[in-house]
Amino acid sequence: MEPNDPQLRNLLHEWEVLGAPPSLEERVLGKPGPWWRFLFTGYIRVPVPVGIATALALVLLTVFFLRGRGATSDSQAGVTVNLKDFRPVNEVKIRMIRGNYAN
Amino acid sequence: MTDPDFRDAFRRHKDVLYRFAYRMTGSGAAAEDVVQDCFLVLWRRPEAYHPERGALRAFLLGIARNLILKRARDERSYDPLEDECSVCPPFDVAGLARAEIVSRAVQALPQLQREAIVLAEYEDLTLEEIARATDAELAAVKSRLHRARENLRRMLAPLLETKGTVYGTK
Repeated sequence: MEPNDPQLRNLLHEWEVLGAPPSLEERVLGKPGPWWRFLFTGYIRVPVPVGIATALALVLLTVFFLRGRGATSDSQAGVTVNLKDFRPVNEVKIRMIRGNYAN
Repeated sequence: MTDPDFRDAFRRHKDVLYRFAYRMTGSGAAAEDVVQDCFLVLWRRPEAYHPERGALRAFLLGIARNLILKRARDERSYDPLEDECSVCPPFDVAGLARAEIVSRAVQALPQLQREAIVLAEYEDLTLEEIARATDAELAAVKSRLHRARENLRRMLAPLLETKGTVYGTK
């Protein structure tokens, strides 16, 4: 409105119109379903930095978990004993050693 | 356009579109139809909106404006879309509330003047945004606004302190 006519501007603003009625949202977007439907069809927006950080954390955790698991299984079941050069002794000499704790 | 984007756009712009459509058509039911059709267009042809050419609000208002013009043409096919009309017919203001008088005065404006004044005054669009929404030249928008104000001053003279032609007195 022209700045030199505030009177007309004020008068025009006496005609107020409210926003869209709630029924319009239902017409355009459909009826809201039960809350649990969100668990199957819902979306959430994640900011890119948060998404990248979360993905990196997941990758690191996965790598850490897999490496830890591999090391454990190596120490437990992955070691084999080679008996190729094994020779039985000819004479077994048993030698008793008495320790101090035996008193 | 994804479903969440569409929902977000609807919730942000539905009120602006509804108010504009209501003030243009004078009917709540018609305004609801216009807003619904407007978002239907956006849903079906989201590629029609180019962010580099302006805000989504102006784009949606442009769609709403075209739908309203189409409705007006369908309802009154014999009535020309008069842009040069400078004098609006008087109406009786006796017994009406001030808001009702203002409403009738705005409704009495020719279509192109009305959309210009509604977008400028009630929705605070800039001249450039109005030109984009109404697909008009800047000079044409200025001219329509000027004529709309003249008409409104004339029709609303009984409510304004300034002296002028008084309509509505018997």
